[in-house]
Amino acid sequence: MKNYFLALGFFCFALSACENDDFCAENTSPKLLIRFYDKEDPETLKEVPLIVWAEGKDTIYPLAVLDSIALPLDTSNNQTTYKFSTTNIVDELQFTYVREDVFISRSCGYIAIFKNVALESQSNNWIESAEISNATIENETAAHVKIYH
Amino acid sequence: MSKYTISCCLFLLAFFAQAQENKPLEQNDSLVYKKNYGLRVGVDLSKPIIAARDVDYKGFEIVADYRLRPNVYIAAELGHVEKTSEEDRYQFFTKGSYLTVGINRNAFKNWLEMDNELYYGFRYGFSRFSQTLNQYTIFQKGVAIDGTSSAYFDPATEQPNRKFEDQNAHWVSLVLGMKVETFKNLYLGLAINISKLLRIDTPENFENLYVPGFNKVYATNSSVSFNYTLSYRIPLYKK
Repeated sequence: MKNYFLALGFFCFALSACENDDFCAENTSPKLLIRFYDKEDPETLKEVPLIVWAEGKDTIYPLAVLDSIALPLDTSNNQTTYKFSTTNIVDELQFTYVREDVFISRSCGYIAIFKNVALESQSNNWIESAEISNATIENETAAHVKIYH
Repeated sequence: MSKYTISCCLFLLAFFAQAQENKPLEQNDSLVYKKNYGLRVGVDLSKPIIAARDVDYKGFEIVADYRLRPNVYIAAELGHVEKTSEEDRYQFFTKGSYLTVGINRNAFKNWLEMDNELYYGFRYGFSRFSQTLNQYTIFQKGVAIDGTSSAYFDPATEQPNRKFEDQNAHWVSLVLGMKVETFKNLYLGLAINISKLLRIDTPENFENLYVPGFNKVYATNSSVSFNYTLSYRIPLYKK
């Protein structure tokens, strides 16, 4: 009888050692979240037909009508320039930031969060104005940049 | 003489069932086999073999046990490991020593003067080590463009070579194993350890994901490890 209890105890202990799948389930490096607002009514989101790409890169958002987009930032640089095109009018926004690397878990490794996010330069062809609403990019729950058009 | 006894007993064993039916009360064996007592020392064979095949691994382990009672042993393992662990996006180097101490209890009923073991036991383990983060690449989720997902920007790779000294870990393990006497006083052993961390240091902005003696640390703070030992009992006395 004693041996049965021992076997049971061992089984429970072995079971408690079971491992989750070794895949990264947590969030990875957060993206820059941009929302588009109406310049006449700055509280209201306004959709825009968009083509977006980074300087020297492929199109990341092929033509789509959207009021918010999420863009990855270049972790090898402390600045990223994106071009936003609507009906063949192109505007350019340059973001600067300070990268901070954070260890998440065995399966995820290190991710980058971004601090002191700023608009270094911007053109105003179709964009009326743009502002940073959240200078620290730690998650993708709230917008970091607001664009009025 | 012993050969004669073995043959005799084997012969009798064939009639065991029958004998039991006929004479259930006459089972007393007048022969008492004395057990060897002494210090048993050995090495883990698996570690040098792994080291010979894997340039990222160096290690050795000395094992010892001492018989307290016919089926109870006090046991210990002492070892040193140097290992480079390669994960998907980072690589680190662990170097350190460990000591585990505990009790084994033999659950195997030996025939005659045989002295084999099928044992279970527990250990308390302690390790002191250093952890060096050699390299890592930022994890950034890919962006789907035309149906294929890939990183939009090449992720940054850093080589911090950050060394965390004086890391400590304490753990407990359950051991299941067997030892077989191949020649007189020479034993081959195999054991599985299922371990759970009690306490471990956490380096700043990193984790101790490999601990010497404990092995790879899983998300549940547990691990599994094996050893294959060759050991020799220095006979002290018989009882």
